[in-house]
Amino acid sequence: MSRLDDDVIYDMPDFGDHVDNGIFSQILEMDESDSDRDFSMPLVSNFFEQASETFIKMDKALVDVDLRNLSDLGHFLKGSSATLGFNKIRDSCQIIQQYGNGFNIDGSQQVDEDTSIKKIQEAITKVKLDTAELEKLMRKFFGY
Amino acid sequence: MHPSSDALDPSPISASASTSDHPAARSDFDQIFDLCPLPLLTLSPSWRITKASQRFLADWNLTSEACLGQEFLPFVQNQLSPSPVHVGYLTTAIDDAIAARAERTSKPIDTRRLSSWRARVIPVFKGDELLATMLEWHQGPLSELNLSEGDGEVVRPELSIDEAFRILVQAVKDYAIFLLDTKGRIATWNTGAQLLKGYRQEEIVGKHFSIFYGKDDLDAKKPEMELEICMRDGRVEDEGWRYRKDGTRFWANVVITAVYKDGVHVGFGKVTRDLTERKSAESRLIAAYEESEKLKSDFLANMSHEIRTPMHGMLSACALLLDTHLTKGQRDIVGIMDESGQVLLSVINDILDYSKLASGSFSIHSDLVGITSIVTSVVRSVQTTLPPTVHFELFLAPDLPKSVQGDPLRYRQILQNIVGNAAKFTEKGNIRVGVSVEKDDHDSYTVLTEVTDTGIGIPETASAGLFTPFTQFDATTTKRYKGTGLGLSIAKSLTELMGGRIGYRPNPERHGSIFWFTAKFKKIKSLQQIQDWKSRSIDKTGTILSLPDTQVVELQNHLHKAANLKSLLLVEDNVINQKVMLGLLRSLGFKNTALASNGAEAVKMVTSKPAAYDLVLMDISMPVMDGNEASKRIREAGINVPIVAMTAYALKGDKERCLEYGMNDYIPKPVDKKHLIRTLSRWLLRMKDYRRSFDEEMMSLRRYEQINATHGVAERLHKLSLDESALPRSFGSGTGDQASKQSAGQGDSEKESTPTADAGGCSETTNCTTSAVPAEDITPTLSSKSNKTAEISPKAQFDGQIAGDELSEGIIQGSQTPACFSTTGSVPSPTHTNVTTPLDKVPDPLGISLGDNDADIPAGSQS
Repeated sequence: MSRLDDDVIYDMPDFGDHVDNGIFSQILEMDESDSDRDFSMPLVSNFFEQASETFIKMDKALVDVDLRNLSDLGHFLKGSSATLGFNKIRDSCQIIQQYGNGFNIDGSQQVDEDTSIKKIQEAITKVKLDTAELEKLMRKFFGY
Repeated sequence: MHPSSDALDPSPISASASTSDHPAARSDFDQIFDLCPLPLLTLSPSWRITKASQRFLADWNLTSEACLGQEFLPFVQNQLSPSPVHVGYLTTAIDDAIAARAERTSKPIDTRRLSSWRARVIPVFKGDELLATMLEWHQGPLSELNLSEGDGEVVRPELSIDEAFRILVQAVKDYAIFLLDTKGRIATWNTGAQLLKGYRQEEIVGKHFSIFYGKDDLDAKKPEMELEICMRDGRVEDEGWRYRKDGTRFWANVVITAVYKDGVHVGFGKVTRDLTERKSAESRLIAAYEESEKLKSDFLANMSHEIRTPMHGMLSACALLLDTHLTKGQRDIVGIMDESGQVLLSVINDILDYSKLASGSFSIHSDLVGITSIVTSVVRSVQTTLPPTVHFELFLAPDLPKSVQGDPLRYRQILQNIVGNAAKFTEKGNIRVGVSVEKDDHDSYTVLTEVTDTGIGIPETASAGLFTPFTQFDATTTKRYKGTGLGLSIAKSLTELMGGRIGYRPNPERHGSIFWFTAKFKKIKSLQQIQDWKSRSIDKTGTILSLPDTQVVELQNHLHKAANLKSLLLVEDNVINQKVMLGLLRSLGFKNTALASNGAEAVKMVTSKPAAYDLVLMDISMPVMDGNEASKRIREAGINVPIVAMTAYALKGDKERCLEYGMNDYIPKPVDKKHLIRTLSRWLLRMKDYRRSFDEEMMSLRRYEQINATHGVAERLHKLSLDESALPRSFGSGTGDQASKQSAGQGDSEKESTPTADAGGCSETTNCTTSAVPAEDITPTLSSKSNKTAEISPKAQFDGQIAGDELSEGIIQGSQTPACFSTTGSVPSPTHTNVTTPLDKVPDPLGISLGDNDADIPAGSQS
């Protein structure tokens, strides 16, 4: 096997079902080199900053019982997590967005606000845990 | 007297001879006896058989030899094997008759053949001398069944059978069986009827049978009608609700039969069964079926997204791999992965389409359709996959309308499927696509599209199931050819949605198939309609043309060259997404990308500098103002910059929604690099610059007219319509000589192979080596260029974009694949002979020219 061939198979750590490797590798691809991840590293750390800011806003919206806002926040974080391929976070955000909008996850109407709040609470708890776990993995990967 | 004691019995002949003195009379009598239509026997006084009528021999299945001269009792014993008691009936009757010198009839003697015989015994005396005994036989049913014993006189078993039936009917509990008189009044009642309907015999007999019917049925005069039909047809059967005495109802099956006795109508027989159980079982089944159908459709629709996301991930990973340096072997393997992924994706899309069609939620859009450009584009895309042994022929009828109203995406989908099938199953010979107008009425065209191939054909037995979902016509084929078996059934549903039909017949000339379908398109009535469409700026060519990956690499290279000069606007609210998109665009070479973080900002930026951006990438859901609204406003401001939507849920139909808001295209999110390359290429390389105004276009064309008169057409044209930076340098060096030959040589098409890019009107120079179809096939035969120039459609700008789409496909293919496609009678140009097809008209793939004359210009034909 030539040197060239080795180059194309770069190390992709196993992030489990946290990360869509196909999407995330496209992000890594944008780095100038594998050793110097000056594009992806700040991007990922920005994401975690964005996530923690969003969680604070979510907690507040939950206290205010502002479902509309919860839905928007869910949508917002869903967008960036999907872009990075962070599937678990994305999925929880989808739940927050849906219930915030008065829908069940399958798109059917959910009229009971208490149920929605409960589901959103669960999803926020889960997404925080998942995010913390993923951040650990990412720190290890990028070494920051 | 006992017969056996009569030992000195004369011979049968002498006995019969003694009955007459005249031989002639005797023979007459013999004949009468013989031919008498009754089974007759005569016995001598000693009980030997002396004569048997032909009818007797036939009924008992005997020859005369087998019975004449036989002793009677042993003979009967042999023939009928009766019980001794029954033999006794016979001897008793004979003895009685002789003793009484009068006729007697025996009781029936049962045989083994489920019938009985009784004999009418007629003794014949001359004076006191017994001359003979005649037996006249009568057949009847088995006597053991007889319930009433006659007292030696004639027994009538039918009565007894009636009685048996009466008891039977009376005893049946599961069916209500009863008789009505001729007026429909109830005459009899059985146990079943009582149990089922709750009436006792004494309270119901004499009532009219309509008492069992509900109000609706009575209002509809159902009972009367049933009797009427019954009188006409002999019987009537019905299922419906019937009511019991207590008012409850049951689901009944009712059979009414007209009853006749001796040809006279005496009433009706009515049999009613309770089907309530079955009925409720049926409705449970139907409900369960409908529920499962709905669940299936929902499941498919929901799952498709879930499956597509990882699929896109996999495919983009493949795309990335293919971008890197790979050995040939590795490239092949990745190629297989990628191809399989694409197949899987198209299978998923098929299933999604199918489930939508099955649930009836599939909608047909109304849009401008350029049939010729769709057909040539489909032919072109399929042509690249064909081996050189297969030739394409394209026949477009001269009277084919250039533009109609309908659903271009669906038309394309059907055609793609059928032509794709033809290509899949044809290894050599030709594939012929013919399009003609089947019917042309006041406000619509019915367009007939026929695809004839010389492929493997379809066995007669399989042709019936062709359009059935999930059917592939034989097992061996399934192994050899990929597919879901859904394609044709989807095509069938789509044609039906488009008011057409689809069918198959064997190719009469050679081995192979002909698939045809019709679709109904509305005629375009007014200019206003066209203007409306123009403002919506929809990409009519429809689906994304999928290119092989090597071509994506090629595209990426072209794009990279062009990227420096292109300025993009990215509209995206999420900073992470902004960064990733910017990174992605940077990796493709785009350095000048402006950012807007919501729709309102984007509108402001675009409207303040209307010509600043070559393309806008637009997120859909954003705070302040979403992408749909922003696109609408940009269009309202009269700015035609290409806008590409980025949407999270990339189901089919999302694209159409984006288009409705004036966007030109869409990319599913998360954005895949390969997809982005294709989309950007289409809008930045292939489409004509939106900034070029109609006037400029006119001027260019006038200039072209002048130049054409002298020389250098190709280069000028090339400059005119394509962004040079986007093109490979080798491209576009055709000679004016060739060009003028093309424009002048329409009549000489047999010898001259001058392929052109697009039937809809190709405005640009093009490398025509891969263009499958010679110019005369698909380019409108326009003899008067100058006229045409004067009649430029205001749609020119938009049109040019579409034409360009077809074009750059040609560019890419042309630079690497030799022509493998030709049309009968023409020789394809060798690779890299860049034939310039001059504009013999303004780009007008919609085929709408505003001049009245040109509206009827044929869309091109080959004879």
